[in-house]
Parts: sequence; structure tokens; C-alpha cells
Amino acid sequence: MSFINVNHISKTFKVAKRERGLLASLKSFFKREYIYIDAVKDISFEIKKGEIVGYIGPNGAGKSTTIKILSGILTPDSGNCKIGGMTPWLEREKYVSNIGVVFGQRSQLWWDIPAIDTFDLLKDIYNLSDKEYEETKNNLIKLLDIEEIVKIPVRQLSLGQRMRCEIAASLLHKPSILFLDEPTIGLDAVSKKIVREFIQKINKEQKTTVILTTHDMSDIEALAKRIILIGKGRILYDGNIHSLKQKFGNIKNINVDTKDTIKKINKKGIITQKKIDEGYLFQIDTNILSISNFLKYLSEITNLEDVDIENESIDDLIIKLYKEFSI
Amino acid sequence: MKIYLNSLKLYFKSQLEYKKSFITGLLSQILIMFTYYFIIIALFDKFDNIKGYTKYEVLLCFAIIQFGFSITETFARGIDVFENLIIRGEFDRLLLRPKNILLQVLSSDYDLIKISRVIQAIIILIISLIKLNIKFNIYKIITISLILISSITIFFSIFLLMASYCFITVQGLEVKNLFTDGGKQIAQYPISIYNKHFIFIFTFLIPYAFVNYYPLLYLLGKSNNKIYVLSPLIVFIYLIPSILSFKWGIKKYTSVGS
Repeated sequence: MSFINVNHISKTFKVAKRERGLLASLKSFFKREYIYIDAVKDISFEIKKGEIVGYIGPNGAGKSTTIKILSGILTPDSGNCKIGGMTPWLEREKYVSNIGVVFGQRSQLWWDIPAIDTFDLLKDIYNLSDKEYEETKNNLIKLLDIEEIVKIPVRQLSLGQRMRCEIAASLLHKPSILFLDEPTIGLDAVSKKIVREFIQKINKEQKTTVILTTHDMSDIEALAKRIILIGKGRILYDGNIHSLKQKFGNIKNINVDTKDTIKKINKKGIITQKKIDEGYLFQIDTNILSISNFLKYLSEITNLEDVDIENESIDDLIIKLYKEFSI
Repeated sequence: MKIYLNSLKLYFKSQLEYKKSFITGLLSQILIMFTYYFIIIALFDKFDNIKGYTKYEVLLCFAIIQFGFSITETFARGIDVFENLIIRGEFDRLLLRPKNILLQVLSSDYDLIKISRVIQAIIILIISLIKLNIKFNIYKIITISLILISSITIFFSIFLLMASYCFITVQGLEVKNLFTDGGKQIAQYPISIYNKHFIFIFTFLIPYAFVNYYPLLYLLGKSNNKIYVLSPLIVFIYLIPSILSFKWGIKKYTSVGS
């Protein structure tokens, strides 16, 4: 049996319907109409211990709702879920000492005082012994390189510094599962790299299972082998990121540098042709037109100075997936 | 409990980050409260008594209610401003920690500035008790202790009940002030000065009368019935629906988007 077992989970929210205009607002003040939104609908998946799973989907797809259900904050309307043998929302107090959650958009650190003080408070909250606390704390401080940072009041930290402290705070009790809800949102390249490398490290060394939601596909590429794509509350794709690329990776971006002018080429397989600074950008479908054929044809009609072939970025891939499932 | 105290320590530490604002806050609270007391004292310059209550009896009553209210505001601010936890989504965070929710809510915020009100209330209380020349025996000591405890309890219960209301809607919280501030304003004076309907409301709906009316009858020697000594205990019954409704609210909680 897998470590995390999610079976047919659904959750519906009741939202007051509001219409435009003052009159409508007044009307709704007295008589409210409600609409029901299926935040997640019949979701099932399994995750093995020590896996890193990227949980992706557009805004409002139900990512956060799923994370909240899995972490015991919300009770689903139907379905069940066993994580490490426990049902999160039924055995809350016992269950949550086993998980760590980082919300990229919300802080769990006390704003006006150094992060280290919050850490001390968490020690009591999780009933950690002095020895294990010191050990874990020092280790995290070293790994995340926050030796000096934890002594500065949190409000004076940069976002990247704060995020590193947030992550440390979520791991003081050595959880076996780590939920990361947009951990790299708004971070600069250096901070992103530190955070990613750290996640990889604890996953490897402590076999921490990581569930990661993000809109930054480079996070996913760097960390997760498996992705679960969710849209409109349903799971659309669950599997290897590599096979996803193969399935949709037939589109190539070809950047051609030339001084000549190329007229619009009418050839099957060329999706777009765009004039850019030094030359042209083509997007071709390799299932119809192979790269060698394309280049052969191009070199016949023009003098090529440089050619650059790129895979379609994973962002485009995701957009395509969204389109395919019309979400 | 350790968590509550440690959080209080942290809160104090963060307050010290804003030293000047903390001190001006304390001072302004002291000034505000003095105006209240002056109004009562000025009132009694014109009148000898209000429906048989003398100046110090009214001040005593006033101090009892202020004491309970201010202690609750200082140390249970977490439930006083509970809607903020819900609106900002911080309540989610509490649910992620392996500790009792109510204890965590209480540990989430404090208002140490209001401590100046507590100290003032205690001073007025002591002055009133001395001026009233109450002959203390064991019964009267029990009475005043229970009065003070029940004064905290009643405000704690009301705050908690109002916090539970936040689970249903975070809007329209004005109704909260009706019960907390409004109730406090009325209860500051001996309840018997109001008409019968008020006494009914404050006996059966919000039992302020068990804090500052029935036990005071005994304490001030207006009655010798010993049952009044224990009457403040009734207030503790009021805790039950408050705690239950809070628990019910947690179950119903639906969180906010991220």
C-alpha cells in the first residue's frame, strides 16, 4: 500500500451569488442566492514514500483545496484519504505532527522578532526534546545558510531570506511529508536555487515525501519526476514529466539568423513564422516536417548564419495541456 | 499553558520593538479610563445616591466589570480579534499544529497596553472596598474572589461566543459590540437601577447580574442570604455553550482561498 492514498475526494463550496450594481447588492442583502462550486471533484491518486510530486494547474483549479484537505484543514464532502495510515481531518492533532506545510503567500513567523524565537516556540508546540531540537535546528540553519538571518527581525528580511526561514520552521519537527504551496513565488534566481537544492537534499537524505504546487515550471523540472495536472477540480494527467514531454514535445522553436529576407513559406508543418531582430523564428511540428528537411529547404532559399533549435518550453507545454482539456 | 506563556513572552518582545508606541498607548489608556471615573465622581457631586447606591458602591461595581473586561481584552485578545485570523487565513496555520485550537487562538495575540486598565480597576476596587468599610470575613472574601473570577469568565464566554459567530460570517460584526462593549457599559452600574426587563435579560440571557448584582447584595450587606456568596458560579455554566459553539465552528470551517 502506498504512503498517501487519496480516494474519490470531492469538495463543494457554497458561494453567495453577487450581481453588478447597487440595486442587486441591496437585493442580495435580503435574499441571497447561492451557487455551488466544485473545488475538487472525484480526485484519486497514490503517492509513494520519498516521492516528489508536482501538483500543477491553473489558478482556481483546486490545488490549494487539495493541499488543505490532505493537510487536515478541510474536511471533504465525500471520499476518503489515508496518509501514513491516518485520515487527516479525523485525527488532526496526531496527524499534523507528521507533516510540514509551507504556504508561499503566508507567513508562520512572528513578524517583529527574529525567526529563531519562532523556532523556539515551535519546539514547544511540537513537544521536541532539547537534543533533537538543537540538532535539527542547527542542521537546517546550516543547509539553508541562514545562520545570520535568523537573528534579524523577520520584517527586515528580504522575501528570499524569509522563505528560507519559513521552510526551516516547517521542518523543525522532521515531518515525513512536506507540502509546499508555491514555495518559490516571487523569489529571485539565487533564492530559488537554494530552495530547490534544499528540497532535493532533504528528499534524498531523509526520504521526505514532497508535494509541491507551483506555477513556475522550472521548479517542476528541477524537482519533480512526476506531475499531477488538475483543472476545474479534476485530475487531467498523472504521470511522468518525461513522457509528457514526449507526447507533446513534437513542437520545436527554430531560431534562424540571416540577413536575407524570407517570404512567408507555405509548407505543411510550419506553425508560425516571425521576423525577429537578427532573423526569423519558426515553430515547426516535427511529426509533419522533420528538422533536417526544414533546414535543407531553408538553406536552399537563403544564406543561414546561425541556427538555434529549442524544445518548446514546459510553460508552453502546460498551456497546451490546458487548451487540450479546455480549462 | 507553556505555549501560552512563551507566546506572551514573544509578544512582549515584539512590543518592545515599538517602544514609543507602546508607552503612548499605555498613557492614553490611563487617560481614557480616568475620564470614566471622573464622570461617576462628578455625578455623585450632584446626587447622593442612585437608587440607594452610594458613590463607592457604584465605583466598586464599575471596577469589577472593568477588571474582568480588561483582563479578557489583555490576555484573550486572540478571541477578541478572531475574525482577523479567519480573514487573513492564519487560522489554517493553527489547524496545522498538534495542539488544542482554543489554546492556540489565545496564544495568537495579546494586548498588553490594556494592562493599564486592569491596574486602574484594581486600584479603584481597593479604594472602594476600603471606603465602604466592609467588614471582611471568610464569606465575604470568597464572595469578592468569586465575583472577580466570574467577571473574567463572563467576558471570556461572550468573546468566545462572538468568535464562534465569525465561522458563520465575518461581516456584520457590529452585533458583537452590542454584547461586549454595550453589555459592559450597562453592567458597569448596579443592575437594579434599570427597569425589570433589563434585570431579566441580565439574569437569564447574559448573566451579568450574577457578577455584579446578586453577590454584591451580600458583599455590601444589603442581604444576608448566604446563597448569594456562591451565585457567581452560575456564570460558569455560560462557558459551556460558548465552548461548544466554538468547537462546532471549527468543524464547519471552510477556509479562504490562497
